[in-house]
Order: sequence, then structure tokens, then C-alpha cells
Amino acid sequence: MNQIHWLYLSVLLFSIGAVTVLVRKNAIVVFMGVELMLNAANLAFVTFSRINGNIDGQVIALFVMLVAAAEVVVGLAIIFTIFRTRRSASVDDANLLKY
Amino acid sequence: MNAPSVDYTAVAPMLAVFVAALVAVLVEAFAPRAQRFIIQVFLATVSIATALIFVVYLATQDTSKTTAGGAVVIDGPALFLQGTILVLALMAVLTMADEASPESSAFTAQASAVPGSVDEARASRLGLVQTEIYPLILFSLVGMLLFPASNDLLTMFIALEVLSLPLYLLCGMARRRRLLSQEASLKYFLLGAFSSAFFLFGAALLYGFAGSVRLSAIAAAIADGGGTTAASAVVGKDGLLLMGIGLLAVGLLFKVGAVPFQSWTPDVYQGAPTPVTGFMAACTKVAAFGALLRIAYVAIPGVRWDWQPVIWVIAALTMLVGSIIAIVQADVKRMLAYSSIAHAGFILVGLLAMDRAGIGAVLFYLAAYGFTTIGAFALVTMVRTSTPDGGVGGEATHLSQWQGLGKRSPWLAAIFTLFLLAFAGIPLTSGFTSKFAVFSAAADQAPWGPGLVVVGVAASAIAVFFYIRVIVLMYFNDSVGDAVTVTRPGALTTLAVGVGVVATIGLGILPSAALGLANSSSVFLP
Amino acid sequence: MNPYVPILALMAIGGGFAVFSVAAGAFTGPKRYNRAKLEAYECGIEPTPPAAGGGRFPIKYYLVAMLFIVFDIESVFLLPFAVAFDSLGVFALVEMVLFVITVFIAYAYVWRRGGLEWD
Repeated sequence: MNQIHWLYLSVLLFSIGAVTVLVRKNAIVVFMGVELMLNAANLAFVTFSRINGNIDGQVIALFVMLVAAAEVVVGLAIIFTIFRTRRSASVDDANLLKY
Repeated sequence: MNAPSVDYTAVAPMLAVFVAALVAVLVEAFAPRAQRFIIQVFLATVSIATALIFVVYLATQDTSKTTAGGAVVIDGPALFLQGTILVLALMAVLTMADEASPESSAFTAQASAVPGSVDEARASRLGLVQTEIYPLILFSLVGMLLFPASNDLLTMFIALEVLSLPLYLLCGMARRRRLLSQEASLKYFLLGAFSSAFFLFGAALLYGFAGSVRLSAIAAAIADGGGTTAASAVVGKDGLLLMGIGLLAVGLLFKVGAVPFQSWTPDVYQGAPTPVTGFMAACTKVAAFGALLRIAYVAIPGVRWDWQPVIWVIAALTMLVGSIIAIVQADVKRMLAYSSIAHAGFILVGLLAMDRAGIGAVLFYLAAYGFTTIGAFALVTMVRTSTPDGGVGGEATHLSQWQGLGKRSPWLAAIFTLFLLAFAGIPLTSGFTSKFAVFSAAADQAPWGPGLVVVGVAASAIAVFFYIRVIVLMYFNDSVGDAVTVTRPGALTTLAVGVGVVATIGLGILPSAALGLANSSSVFLP
Repeated sequence: MNPYVPILALMAIGGGFAVFSVAAGAFTGPKRYNRAKLEAYECGIEPTPPAAGGGRFPIKYYLVAMLFIVFDIESVFLLPFAVAFDSLGVFALVEMVLFVITVFIAYAYVWRRGGLEWD
């Protein structure tokens, strides 16, 4: 199978993730969009690793998974504190800071 | 298969801070609550000072080298930036430690307690002191030290996350106006994670282009004309390279707060606890510009004709937008945030010069700006509202509350005036020297340089207007009465502000030694 | 010897252990059927009716999930190391021990600060 299809898939996933971040209102869903973007990058790394025939990309993917997990933990902690304060995880409600 | 060798002397500054951070976590877990504060402050200051000594030692050795399997590079710019970050972090920790006496602390005693809840009331009644900030600061510092010293994109990404994740949490820990603080934390986190995803995807594309994430390998692939890897042949080398650089730049320009990725800056700077804002504004900027410099000068100088015009426009926009929007701000922290955006633009001007003078100018600018910024935010923590019973309330950050401070608190007003003049770039302050250095480095670069310098000077002129406005407000307006008190700073804050004042004046009057150091540090190890 | 023989032997031992454990329980354990034992399996906790507010999970689940993710993902580094450890030598072993110590420092923090207590 032509490996470039995997790149198309990764770009597609990255775009879906980016759009999710931009249009969705629930902080947790926004955050899921970010995670999707990270994993799309992982897919690109692994695909390039396969196409180029060196293993660096696969190693990088492992590191990225770890970073993504750490980010999940920090992110959920922040979202929960704000949810417990306001009973809402909508990013539109977080609007006290302006001008 | 051979395990990579590590030169432990070269990474000693990072190791010292990292080990201290781990010990600090253990202190949080096992030390009795009453003694945690003093242990944590001791640990933080001693470890940062130790790291600083290691950096100075390495600088005197004058051996640029890569280590840890080539993932980390210790060269002139890396050591200069690490030294700068450590000094600034030491100042920031001093301001935080002074804050942490329970009645005047900027940090909530229990970040997990819901604002206004019974838990929170009990925590503050018990006089609990927030000590978890110190391990977080140290972890963040490890990332900042690694960021400008990383020699491949993966290490850079890890460093970026290690420096960012603790900062996201620190932003949400303000004692007063918890809602604003938590909101700042959420915004910073979501946008920061968003931008780091762009950075990572850019790194993936460059990996496809060069077959390696090592910066020197990317430079070599560009020099070869690209397209040497199988992926470049399949996808097309220009697409991979240019899109990769573009996405990478999004992530880095976000961290330095350049237009159009600046929107988080004012919100986060305003909502975060003020000592954290100072730390973030100074140290993050130094680290992120260090990484940006390394990518621009080591990895992608070969295609500079493709990316320089874009950075030109971004630099011009950043200077103008930062300066113009700062005029209408009514909150001193927001004003300083827009000022920091404008400064990011000025530093980008130096980065564009693409020669040794440009690197030296950027290094000097970062150091000078960092000292002034930490000092300015330390002063902001002292101006407080008065509570009806005569006690000290939260910070009075609205500009109307700063009216007439010149009469009531001459020292504070005088020092803040000095810092504002340095931000504005008035002669005899560090701000003038650093702006002069970046502009003269860029002006030599025909054909685009002089035009950008004109934009920069225009933006500086606009910026002078709102800095002077604050000075006028402090000296020539009537006082607002007893609504605002100026707290007496503790010894630690006084020390930090003192260092800021000495650096701001010293780098303005006698800049030659520091400029010489910056210029001699301006050779990247390819 | 065929290189797959050790793998087959490992699978046989693993499968044998599983069969033995289940069989030993079935033969030696008491057999009392009551309502609680016939309920749907829910991680050892008493089954609860769907909570008010659309059946949201309590926030504690997320705390446990977060801790699980962190410790689980550390194995990402242990697995490649386990595959190549004999060719990597003592240096890598020392590095991995340091890595595990680092993780255990985080574990000690979580434990001491009550992160592992359900209530």
C-alpha cells in the first residue's frame, strides 16, 4: 500500500483536531482536539520513519506519548479546578479577563 | 549498540536544578508542614546558585561541545542564556519567598480548594503557606535551561513541555481573585497545548524532510538541496521543509508572545500571581528566544530568503500592535503585558539580522529586559488596596489607583519610573542600549533592514507615550486617598528590586562589559 | 534449537498457570451464591444506580485515571529497554534505575498527599 496515504490521514487528523480546538466550547472536548493533534503528529513521525527507513521517528513517537500523558494530567487538573469553582467546563464562560 | 555517553560537567547546571526539584517533591511529601517553607526556599535558592556557579565555570572553560548523544549542546549562546535565566529565576524566587508570609502571600494556601469554600477558609485560618510552588518553579527552570541548549527538535519539544506544564499550574495559584487566576491558567494551558501541537507537527514534517530531527542534519539537508530522503521524493521537499518551518515557528512565536499569537499574553499576565508573572515574562521569554535563535541560526539559515520576509512582517506587527494597544490599557499588569509583546517584536528585529552582531544584540536585550521586568512586577506586588479595617488587601493594579503615588511613596514611584524609562528605551538606561544594539544590527542588513528599523523607532515613539502617561499619573495627579497602601517590602524583595535597579542603570551607563560578553558568546556550535 | 521454542514454552507456562489458578479456585473454594455475587461486575465496588445529572462519574474516577495514566505510560520506556538491555550494558541499567527512582519519588508524593485514598 502506498505509504503517502498515512500522511494524508495524519494531516486530516491534525486538521480535525485543530478545528475541534477552534470551534468546540467544552474545555474537555477542546483538550481532546489537542490530543488528536499530538497523535496525528505521532502518526506522521511513524510514517516518515517507515518511508525514510530509519527508526528515529518511532522513538520520538514514544516520547510524545509520554508528554501527551503528562499534559493530560495537568490539563484535567486545571479543568477540574475550574469546573468545581464554576460548575461549568465551557470555555465561553471563562470570560472574566478582558481589557 | 552503544549507549550514548553523557558529559556530566556540561549538563551539571540542569542536573543540579533537577535533583533539587526531586528533593523538593520529597520535602513536600515527608517534611512536617511547619518546616516546609524554609526548607523549600533554601533548596531553591541554593540549587539555583549552584547551577549558576556551574554555568560560570563552564563559561570559563571555553569549550563548546555537544553531549548526551548529541541531544544537548553547550556553546556560547546556551551558556549566556542559561546564566541569564538562572540569575532572573533567583530574583523571581526571592520575590516569591518574600510574598509567602501568610498575610501578604500572593499564593493561595490550597490550590485545590474551591474559592470561597469552607476548605479555603480553614486553610487560610490555619495560616497555611503555599510551598508547592517551589518544586514547580524548579521543574519549569529545568525546561528553561534545556530549551536554548537543545540540539534536536525532540529535546526541544520535551524542554518546551517541561517548562510549560508547571507554569500552567503556577498561573492558577493566586491567593486573591482566584477565578481570574484559574481562568488565566485554563487559557494558557489550552492555547499553550494547541501551539505545542503545531510545533510537534512541524518537527514531524522536518523529520520527513531531513530524515533526522538533529538541527545540524536539517541544515545539512537544506545545503544538499533537500530531497535526499525517500519522504522528500514522495511528498515533495519544499512542501515538507516550508510547512515544517512554518508550523515550528507557530509554536515558538506563541511562547515569545509575537503577533498574531499574542492573545494569551495579557490575560495570563493579569490573572497569574504577580511574582509568577514576573518569572514567566522574564525567564520564558529568554528561553523561548534562545530556542528560536538556535533554530534560525543553526537549522534553517540556508532557506532564510523564504522565512525572513514572514518574520519581518511579524516583527513589525508585533512592535506596532503591542505599543498601540498598550495605550488603552487601564490595568498596570495588562499594560506591562502589552509592553512585553512590543519588546518581543524588538527582539525579533535583532534575530532577523542573521549575523554575530544580531545574536549578541538579542542576548544582551534578553538579559536587560529580564532584569527590568522582574523588578517592575516585584513593585506591582507592593501596591495594595486597603481593607476597611485598615489591613492590607489585594493588589491595586488599576491605573487609577496608582495616581499620586509619587507623593505618598517616593521611592517606589522613582524606581518604577526608572523601569518604565528603561522599557521605553530612554538613554542612560539598559533599554536604550539594548534597543540601539538590535536596531544597529538590523540597519546594516540592506535591503530590508532600514525599513524595519523605521517601524521599530516609530513603535518606540508610540510606546514612550504610554510609559510617560503612567509617570505623569504617579507624579502629577492627586492621590486617591487611603484606598491604596504601599506595603513595606521584605528584605528579599528589596534585594531583588535592588538587583533590577543596579542592572537597569548599570547596563545603561556602562554596557560595554555586558555587550562584550554577549558578543563573545554569540557563536553557535553548528 | 528453534528460536520460537522458548516463546512457546513461555506461552505454555503462562496458559498453564492461568488454567491452574482458575481450576484450583473452582475445586477448593466455597460455593455460595447470593445477590451480591450475581450482580454485574463493577471493580469490586457496590453497583450504584445512575447518578442524578445524567449519570456523570464522580470526580474521583478522574483522579484515579490520571494517576493510572502517569504510571502506566512510564512503561513506554521500560519496554524498549527490556528488549535491548543486554546489549546496552551497565550504563543503561543505571539510567533506568535512576528513571524508576524518579517515578517512585512521584509515587511517594501521591501516596503521602492522600492521592491513593478513595475517601
